Amino acid sequence: MHLNEDDLVLHYYGEMDGDAETRAASHIAACGACHASYTRLQRVLAAVDAAPAPEPAPGFERIVWARLEPKLRRRRSWGSWLIASPAHLAWAATVLLLVGASFVAGRLYRGVDDRGAASAEQIRERILLVDLGDHLDRSQMILVEIASAGGDDSVDLTFERARAEQLVQDNRLYRQTAMTGVDPRITDLLDDLERVLVEVAAAPAEVPASDLNDVQRRIDARDLVFKLRVLSAELRERQKPGHKTTTM
Amino acid sequence: MPHTDAAAVALARDGDSEAFRALVERHSRAVFGLAQRMTGSPQDAEDVVQETFLRAYKQLGRFESRANFGTWVHRIAVNCTIDLIRSRANRETGHEPDDLEQFGAAIEPTDAMGTSPERLMLSSEVQQRVQAAMASLSRMERAAFTLRHFEGESIEEISRALGLKTNAAKHSVFRAVKKMRVALEPFVAVD
Repeated sequence: MHLNEDDLVLHYYGEMDGDAETRAASHIAACGACHASYTRLQRVLAAVDAAPAPEPAPGFERIVWARLEPKLRRRRSWGSWLIASPAHLAWAATVLLLVGASFVAGRLYRGVDDRGAASAEQIRERILLVDLGDHLDRSQMILVEIASAGGDDSVDLTFERARAEQLVQDNRLYRQTAMTGVDPRITDLLDDLERVLVEVAAAPAEVPASDLNDVQRRIDARDLVFKLRVLSAELRERQKPGHKTTTM
Repeated sequence: MPHTDAAAVALARDGDSEAFRALVERHSRAVFGLAQRMTGSPQDAEDVVQETFLRAYKQLGRFESRANFGTWVHRIAVNCTIDLIRSRANRETGHEPDDLEQFGAAIEPTDAMGTSPERLMLSSEVQQRVQAAMASLSRMERAAFTLRHFEGESIEEISRALGLKTNAAKHSVFRAVKKMRVALEPFVAVD
């Protein structure tokens, strides 16, 4: 009996049991049609083997380390304390949220008063919305600057690098504090944003135009500026009095 | 920078971050290649690279110094990629075999490619078609095929790793190979 395509695949990978494997090998040796089909399969899979493995962009290792190193540093300083108690992690996240709140308490107090007795949860959410909206606006500005830079052989990114470093720290804070019930669009956007900000923060002060083109393409490919603008506008809408606050 | 992985691991265990950086820089590219083969997504592959080296850092104390660091981190990368794939199992993308039939028929092999197997295998067009065929696989097909073909794992091991029944893992591999055949057979003629 001839071997079908699936049998040939199992034989190729040695997935048949002992007797079946022996019979298959014998048949392939004796049958011209199955031998030709098996040879074609071998050549196809050899072509797959010969294709090179996917390669990342130049400078990949530097970017990997720039993203990784702060996590290792945090782990070295917090590690055992956090691992010992998940409750401590939740407490740390709450503290981070309240630290953000202290910068905007004045802006919000009048709004809370006007609405009467807003719950603590609603206040926390509104504070996060304001802070996050500001962060998105600042990030949008730097992305627009990066996207429109260039024209010379090299570009000076000293100022943008410093701003990007701070935005990376802030972005990580917002990713940590935007926890349960968060809109997946926000976390996906913050992830995409962080990748670009880390690249900018890790870049040398003088960047060849060709390297900047890669970052610019990444910004364009993900429509980052547009998404930041849309989300920022939505967050401002949510902050308006009378807008029903729900968990993000 | 430490010359050998063993030296770098020893220093990294003592808290030398530059030593761990050397390990990351030496092995991150290979991890990326594996992860992108399995996931089909450069962004997912980057996330896998991060998670792989985070786990490696946490588990440095358990690494046997006589073992090969590259092999060890490769195994961690496979597990991280599988975890990512399983967590996103509902968002499958990919083409049906019929789509690929049409795709395969759209481009005819040219005489310029010749009939020498070596020339065919190295031609950039074949490489592009391999990449296109891999991109056409569903997430599970790609993962199963990568684990079977590139990582040498058995169907049984693949089914356990991906949380599939054995038959489902087997058919994922079959479908993936079928798509490879459709895309590449016109270019790898039998002499």
